Amino acid sequence: MNQPAAVPTEAILTRNFGRADSYTLTAYRETGGYAGWAKALALEPAAITDAVKRSNLRGLGGAGFPTGTKWSFVPKGHAGPIYLVINADEGEPGTVKDRYLLERDPHALIEGMLIAARAIGSRLAFVYIRGEYITPWRRFSAAVREAYDAGYLGRGLDVVVHRGAGAYICGEETGLISSLEGRKGWPKLKPPFPAIKGAFGAPTIVNNVETICQVPHIVNRGPEWFAALGTKTQGGTRLYSVSGRVRRPGVYEASVAVTLRQLIYEHAGGVTGNGRLKAVVPGGASAAILRADEIDVTMDVDGLRNAGTMAGSAGVIVMDETVSIPDALRVVARFYAHESCGQCTPCRETTGWIHRMTERIVEGRGHKEDLDTILDVARRGTGTTICAFYDGAVGPYISYIEKFRAEFEALIRHA
Amino acid sequence: MSPRHPQFTSEQLAEVRRLQGLYPDARGALLPVLHLAQEVFGYISEEVEEYVAGLFGLAPAPVHEVVTFYTMYFREPKGRHVVSVCHNLSCHLAGAPAILDHLRRRLGIEPGGTTDDGRVTLLAVECLCACEMAPMLQVDDRYEGNLTPETVDRLLDQLR
Amino acid sequence: MPKLTIDGQPLEVPPGTNLIEAARRIGIEIPHYCYHPALSIAGQCRLCVIDIEKVPRPQVACNTVVAEGMVVHTETERVLETRKSIMEFHLINHPLDCPVCDQAGECWLQIYYMKHGLYDPRMVDEKVHKPKAVPLGPHVMLDAERCILCSRCVRFCDEVTGTSELGIFHRGDRSEIGLFPGQELANKYSGNVVDICPVGALTDRDFRFQVRVWYLDTQKSICPGCARGCNIEVHVSRRRPHHAEGRRVVRLKPRFNEAVNKWWICDAGRYGSAFVDDDTRLQVPARRDGEKTLEIAWTEMIPLAAGRLRGYRADEIGILASPTLSNEDLFLLRRLCDALGVGAVDYRVPPARPGDEDDFLIRADKSANSRGAALIGLGGADARAILGAARDRRVKCLWIFGHDLLASAWPEGEVRDGLRGAETVIFQGTNANRTSAYAHLVLPAAAYPEREGTWTNFEGRVQRFRQALAPLGRALPDWEILGRLLQEVQGAPRPARAEECFRDLAATEPAFAGMTYRSIGDAGQLVRAARP
Repeated sequence: MNQPAAVPTEAILTRNFGRADSYTLTAYRETGGYAGWAKALALEPAAITDAVKRSNLRGLGGAGFPTGTKWSFVPKGHAGPIYLVINADEGEPGTVKDRYLLERDPHALIEGMLIAARAIGSRLAFVYIRGEYITPWRRFSAAVREAYDAGYLGRGLDVVVHRGAGAYICGEETGLISSLEGRKGWPKLKPPFPAIKGAFGAPTIVNNVETICQVPHIVNRGPEWFAALGTKTQGGTRLYSVSGRVRRPGVYEASVAVTLRQLIYEHAGGVTGNGRLKAVVPGGASAAILRADEIDVTMDVDGLRNAGTMAGSAGVIVMDETVSIPDALRVVARFYAHESCGQCTPCRETTGWIHRMTERIVEGRGHKEDLDTILDVARRGTGTTICAFYDGAVGPYISYIEKFRAEFEALIRHA
Repeated sequence: MSPRHPQFTSEQLAEVRRLQGLYPDARGALLPVLHLAQEVFGYISEEVEEYVAGLFGLAPAPVHEVVTFYTMYFREPKGRHVVSVCHNLSCHLAGAPAILDHLRRRLGIEPGGTTDDGRVTLLAVECLCACEMAPMLQVDDRYEGNLTPETVDRLLDQLR
Repeated sequence: MPKLTIDGQPLEVPPGTNLIEAARRIGIEIPHYCYHPALSIAGQCRLCVIDIEKVPRPQVACNTVVAEGMVVHTETERVLETRKSIMEFHLINHPLDCPVCDQAGECWLQIYYMKHGLYDPRMVDEKVHKPKAVPLGPHVMLDAERCILCSRCVRFCDEVTGTSELGIFHRGDRSEIGLFPGQELANKYSGNVVDICPVGALTDRDFRFQVRVWYLDTQKSICPGCARGCNIEVHVSRRRPHHAEGRRVVRLKPRFNEAVNKWWICDAGRYGSAFVDDDTRLQVPARRDGEKTLEIAWTEMIPLAAGRLRGYRADEIGILASPTLSNEDLFLLRRLCDALGVGAVDYRVPPARPGDEDDFLIRADKSANSRGAALIGLGGADARAILGAARDRRVKCLWIFGHDLLASAWPEGEVRDGLRGAETVIFQGTNANRTSAYAHLVLPAAAYPEREGTWTNFEGRVQRFRQALAPLGRALPDWEILGRLLQEVQGAPRPARAEECFRDLAATEPAFAGMTYRSIGDAGQLVRAARP
């Protein structure tokens, strides 16, 4: 396990959050905004990609894929258009951080986009904002207008802001692409991968809002500085959304090496409810749940993977002992059944079935075979689907039952 | 101007063409244009679907696919205000079921329904990603969080 | 060409081949639903998963293109377990409609469950319910509960007909195939979605509840509906004559032919076989004597007809041949014309309305063998002039093959004058019509499923149709009737089989030189002039 790094005293992503007019160009410039872009203009595109690789920046939307590596998948010397697409379809339960960035620091995203577009050779970028995010959409659109007026945009990079219409699956990068193309948000078969053939048939890089917001700092202050903030395999800080039974729910910036214990007790002020921690979802609803004795784990991608869960979108949901885990599973299973896009058979059919079973269990009509049926069905479906949505559903299906089986069995015994 | 006989004004049509021009394939503008149509006509009726399909050179079936797939397009008339209560995990832990029950009683409708006077449509929705202010809801364009029955009542009183 | 190994067998296939097609080449059929060679790859059903060495997760075979050195295993333990799981997932919400579902016996859920499933079901909750028995159009019935959402029908309407009537609405397990509300599935190829639907979600309204498929026999044939000659299978019910309202031909299905119709057939062709079993079929030779019609035996009819023909001068006989007669029939008719010295023969009768045509399969010429009739030289005269000559009593004997001249483009009065003008009207055909009512001699012909023969399509492709049923009543194939007449008139030994006629045709007509039934096979063969 990586040694937890000291919690940085410097706010990087959150440095503008407290200002009332933080989302304006004026405010952004006052705290060094667009300095990274000025430096990037003097760099070759390949050098920018290389810097991002060396920074160990990893995707902060959910998958944790090394960002520089992803950028390098774009075919060299490609003749036609290359698209940069920003995934602002934040939807993972427990996650609020992209909303904060869009509302409070939209220019950070624009500056990051300018640099990323230069690195990959894109002249047209799309920002896909979930349909329900109206204030963030307005704030970001206003910032885009300011950026055009100030001459940052429209001189080599154009930005199209696109609103979604309500579907969690549009947070999956190829589901997002399908939606951007004016279709249902059905993820696409891979191969081909988006960097080769993505939006409108062209090479496309899809990155999360927060991931791109990190890029100006990497260029401005150097990849080594960024890398040193984190662990050996993941650099930088990230924004943790903490909610549930905690004293101070909110967004907290910390090194990726912060531990879950530190987040809960030092940043978010400790556990409410009956004050005794029972379980934590560490990376958004799709991440396997951790018990109270499993929170001494660093919150980086590899640290959480080694702990049998995932960093995901860093949505931390805290549960005290008064929370019913079977009821929590019912709520989460209902979510996956509602959001399954329906394209492929395993996910379409089993998310609904498993939800029906969890309802029955919570209502006191569970059968003794139900738990093993859910586990077996979830295991059988894993790895058979078009996209990772189902793998995300399986995280809670399996971990809640395996780690809290007695609680489920108690409900069934009394059925 | 009505959802049964939809017709955009020339300014609205110009906006449609502008949106279509932003995308490498004009079809990319379908979701934004459906949002515009919902604003203009109140909801997306079958006639609106056919009308929009015509603006894109699409058969109506693919437009119907899009309208039925996404949750934000209303296929029936909705209330003047839409109140969407999140019932996902963090809000559930923070008491969303009680908030929803309170709204059921105050409004006299089930989630999915609209009050008889056409004032409010009540929905139970999945994560709106405002978990730090759970329990929360979206009323029209804005989020309201840290709800209590009292703050919900005050909110409802302001809706005309 | 990439070389790969599938289940230990090495093979080489063209680049770009997917693994389902590659495996098929060596006789390995990877189970699948959503894949169809005519349609874009969907990768939705997930049934076609296989294992590839060095690839950690199972991959769908449909979306995997062969690569040099690929080593594929289609029957590993993991693949077999995954197939079982996928079968279970498909059946979670599927209604147990087998006892009332037309697809039973040719249903790919049944077939694959028996082969790859065989698990004990454990879904005890309520299934998702969707609309049942929804007519989508004149020909297709939808049961949305049975649908496995493979999207083949949606892709067919998008990619093959370009009409996009069908969509998959909503999402998750509420996903549902359907039409835009108020629309109809009325394109001219709508019946094809029933063929490609692996289950009983899309069924044929015409075939609904008629007869169980395991009572059917099939035979290879050709659709006579237009000059394209789409390849078909005729499905006949011989063992349950009390089902399907006594119809023997219960349905037609398209048969794959890369050069002619690929996998498809138009609705007019698919649903155009009712004439074979309807009550207008001519079943016995008959002679009209004033008001009375007498049924007679062939042994009486042949000499009678031959005698009538010989009783006229050659220039007093006019023959309206049919462009639906087979090459064999036409060949013998030509020999008969030569034997009698008849020159006034033509096959071209224009329909009242011009036939529809499209840039896909449908040809405006609604007959099967115009090209054959032209090649075999039965278009020397002008049909309308022949009719006119009959009106003027210059032609005294009119021999009409199958046409209903009153349904032609010619004025009704002109037609009736011609029919009444002739002293002797001979009608040879499969079905009675308003023209046959004028006939003095009626020669009942076997319909195409009741005999074999060949037709030449508009491109010059000679294609075989084969016998699926015995002729109704005492009807005989046209070549048989003509052979007997020729024997009566000329004394030549009559052919015993259609193949003999074709052999003689090939020996006589340069266009058909060197062709045999064998060389024609199941895919057909182009006449000389049409070959590149």
